[in-house]
Amino acid sequence: MNGPVPRRGTAPRTVVVGAGLAGLVSAILLRRHGHQVVLVAKGLGGLQLSQGTIDVLGRLDGRLVDDPWAAFDELPDSHPYRRIGVEAVRRGVDVLAGLLGPDLLAPVGERNQLYPTAVGALRPTLVVPPSMAAGAARDGRRIVIVGIDQVKDFHPELVAGNLARTELPGGGRLQVRHASIDLGARPGEVDSSPVVYARALDQAHTREKFVRAVKAVAEPGEVIGLPAVLGVDDPLAWADLQQRIGQPVFEIALQPPSVPGMRFNQALLAHTRRERVRTMLGAEVIGLVNEGSTVTGVRVQTAGGERTIGCDHVVHAPGGFESGALAVDSHNRVSETIFGLPVTATDATELIHGDYWGAPQPLFEVGVRVDDQMRVLDDRGRAMYANLYAAGGILAGAIRWREKSGEGIALGSAVKAVDAITAGEDRP
Amino acid sequence: MKRLSADVVVIGGGATGAGVVRDVAMRGWSAILVDKADLGQGTTGRYHGLLHSGGRYVVSDPHSATECALENAIITRIQPQCVEQTGGLFIVGPDDDPEYSDRFLIGARATGVPCEEISPAEALRREPRINPRLQRAFAVQDGAVDGWQMVWGAARSAMEYGAQVLTYHRVTDVLVRDAKVVGVVATDEKRGEQVQIDCSFVLNAGGPWAGQIATMAGCEQVEVVPGRGIMIAMNHRLVNSVVNRCIHPADGDILVPVHTVSIIGTTDVRADDPDRLPIPREEVQQMLDAGEVLVPGFRESRAVHAWSGARPLFKDPRVSATDTRHMTRGMSILRHDVRDGIGGIISIIGGKLTTYRLMAEKMVDAMADQLGETRPCRTADEVIDPPGSSTYHVTHRLEEREGDRLDDQIICECELMNRGMLTELMAEQPTANFDDLRRQLRLGMGPCQGGFCSMRATGIAVQEKMVDVERASELMRLFLKNRWIGLWPILHGDQVRQTALDNWIFHGTFDLEALPESQEVAL
Repeated sequence: MNGPVPRRGTAPRTVVVGAGLAGLVSAILLRRHGHQVVLVAKGLGGLQLSQGTIDVLGRLDGRLVDDPWAAFDELPDSHPYRRIGVEAVRRGVDVLAGLLGPDLLAPVGERNQLYPTAVGALRPTLVVPPSMAAGAARDGRRIVIVGIDQVKDFHPELVAGNLARTELPGGGRLQVRHASIDLGARPGEVDSSPVVYARALDQAHTREKFVRAVKAVAEPGEVIGLPAVLGVDDPLAWADLQQRIGQPVFEIALQPPSVPGMRFNQALLAHTRRERVRTMLGAEVIGLVNEGSTVTGVRVQTAGGERTIGCDHVVHAPGGFESGALAVDSHNRVSETIFGLPVTATDATELIHGDYWGAPQPLFEVGVRVDDQMRVLDDRGRAMYANLYAAGGILAGAIRWREKSGEGIALGSAVKAVDAITAGEDRP
Repeated sequence: MKRLSADVVVIGGGATGAGVVRDVAMRGWSAILVDKADLGQGTTGRYHGLLHSGGRYVVSDPHSATECALENAIITRIQPQCVEQTGGLFIVGPDDDPEYSDRFLIGARATGVPCEEISPAEALRREPRINPRLQRAFAVQDGAVDGWQMVWGAARSAMEYGAQVLTYHRVTDVLVRDAKVVGVVATDEKRGEQVQIDCSFVLNAGGPWAGQIATMAGCEQVEVVPGRGIMIAMNHRLVNSVVNRCIHPADGDILVPVHTVSIIGTTDVRADDPDRLPIPREEVQQMLDAGEVLVPGFRESRAVHAWSGARPLFKDPRVSATDTRHMTRGMSILRHDVRDGIGGIISIIGGKLTTYRLMAEKMVDAMADQLGETRPCRTADEVIDPPGSSTYHVTHRLEEREGDRLDDQIICECELMNRGMLTELMAEQPTANFDDLRRQLRLGMGPCQGGFCSMRATGIAVQEKMVDVERASELMRLFLKNRWIGLWPILHGDQVRQTALDNWIFHGTFDLEALPESQEVAL
């Protein structure tokens, strides 16, 4: 069926573009405010590619940040956090904690902690899933990193070797060794993807064998570090394994696809269904309909043809360069590809340099600018439309992978956009 | 100082040097090849992968055309595993002068380069993506060749005849006594030690660096002009046969399908230093525009990597040194006994990958002549690759993995490289860095440019105890740094997206920067 997407009732309607963390949280919050929400996404959202932690601000100019909240004031004025503010990010993190619940998210602390990565570096983050919590770096902690021969994305010698040679920021070291188990996710399988392995560990019979194999290589008093494959549909698979092994275990995030990210994604999608968010996946947003400075609809390319979704507000959360919402063409022009919004710089030749380990590549700070209500600004710094808000990876001013700030920016900007949209309405 | 000796030291591990050391060893001299880096890391590895039919030279350089046609057949016979017999087309583009194509056809007949005119419709049937407004088309026997496989094949053959191959041995001096070369001093860069090789002959196949080597022996004014050219690998095979523009040799006139990619080349600009070869953005734009003429929509295809190579061209006083394309393409063999009064050293400069075997033959002939010996060349007759080998198809690795996928892990999905291939080569070449492995295995050469395989290779290297964890981590950092050299100048389109994803992995999820830095510089 082509043509406009019909409305239900008289409540205001918001179109949310994007199914990543910012889009999903915006959609759920708006429903809780009684808005009709249509969530439109071209892909499956970025959460499933993420490291599965909640980063707020881990590094600033290359140095480790201890208290992310206190570091907001040190950020340059161009940083999205300067528009979003500490309060909105805190609220965003709390909202997510409420949505995911204690099974999927450990309590929110005040300070960053360091957790081992799959190359054995120590990575700062604010909140982790409970399955990663025991990995927090502490002087003298005895750790055994256990690999699975059949999972090629995790090499315990590399992880343990690098952890062992790393001095902790406050001094001291971890005591780390490594071990491996030989257990296929399915009989005879030599090359198991992390997702396949995680699904296998959702099953009781695989869990039993896994417990036996891990117990055989762990020594008493050790904390056991494992690749992040400890169940995907069952969020408590890791806890069951830990209980049966009888020693603390923790997960280490792997390169994509990310099992911890998938768990978050599944939980948030369940909320969108429960909240009756109308979701159009595999649908590409191709433009806006406006009356003067007000957006009145969003044009969407679907399998059946082009449709227009009439709306009162738009939350634009399509991601950044990784999703294709920001792009560089063959003539080196940078653009926002969905609505053609103005971006902070347009000539990519000035924004990329050849020193890989040198200064950050300015290209990846490019994005759209917003005011403190997350309304998209034009080149002269005025809101382009009264009701077009941006959130998440599309916002200019931060290189998230370097700073470890992706989730904080996504959550804070989602909360701010929802605040602005629902201002004057009764809070639920 | 470590001391070695051999009859002949071959300097330079490109195609020419590898061909020379094989030829020398097969004729019964003891030989050692030294290169300052890996085999095929210079000009040989930085080209577009064309095994010339000769078509490119039928008008401008008929002698080279004939040589190419003959050597093409020889290489295909002795090293079939390096060759994909793609066939090639010369197409007259919509705005190209048709007069040249008449001369092309006459030239092909005169030089013995097999060539057949086909209708534009037939050309489009064979290559549906080429410019449908083409005026004429000629089918030739161009192929694709894997230069690294070719060089390693020749080197391994030489080793079977007793030669030694020392990579990462940088020559620092050529020892001359009584106007005759008596040895070579080199630094083993990976072990940090000096090596002296006593010898009675040096064959200088240093390519763009040949002038520097000749100077060490006291042979002055061997001016080698590096003619720099860029190439861009486009993701996927936009064409399945080599597509040339039927015009006088010019920039961006060829698109070569090599393994999983297609490579457009090239430019030609005089460079000052063969160790510093930029990839200027103007030249990237020039290649993309040229690609549009061959394959409309080229700009919207995905560029995955670019590189810059230096043709070693001997400076000929007859032409301006700024115009490298019109210098002689043929090789120059310099007998320094005649030219400079220094015995026991010959330099070779110039030439083409396709004719590497022939160049080696001529150089070793010159040495034999100088030594007053008659030892015939047999390199064209003896097959290098294992008996029963055939030329490859782009799908060969898929076929191989279909055979072993249940028994081994695929470490690089883009290039279908499995763990066994990696560990086998690591065991054979324990000092190899990941780029050295890449050149032989295609590790990290696909669309993700190492995004998914780099950490795996690093982990395997540690697990197999090839390197300790500190060096392994430095090698991973070095690999990513080196991949970036060929990425940032062409970064647009889907490769930006890929780079963002790769950055999320290495900087975001892995936090690679947080690893303690090593004091040692990884090589």
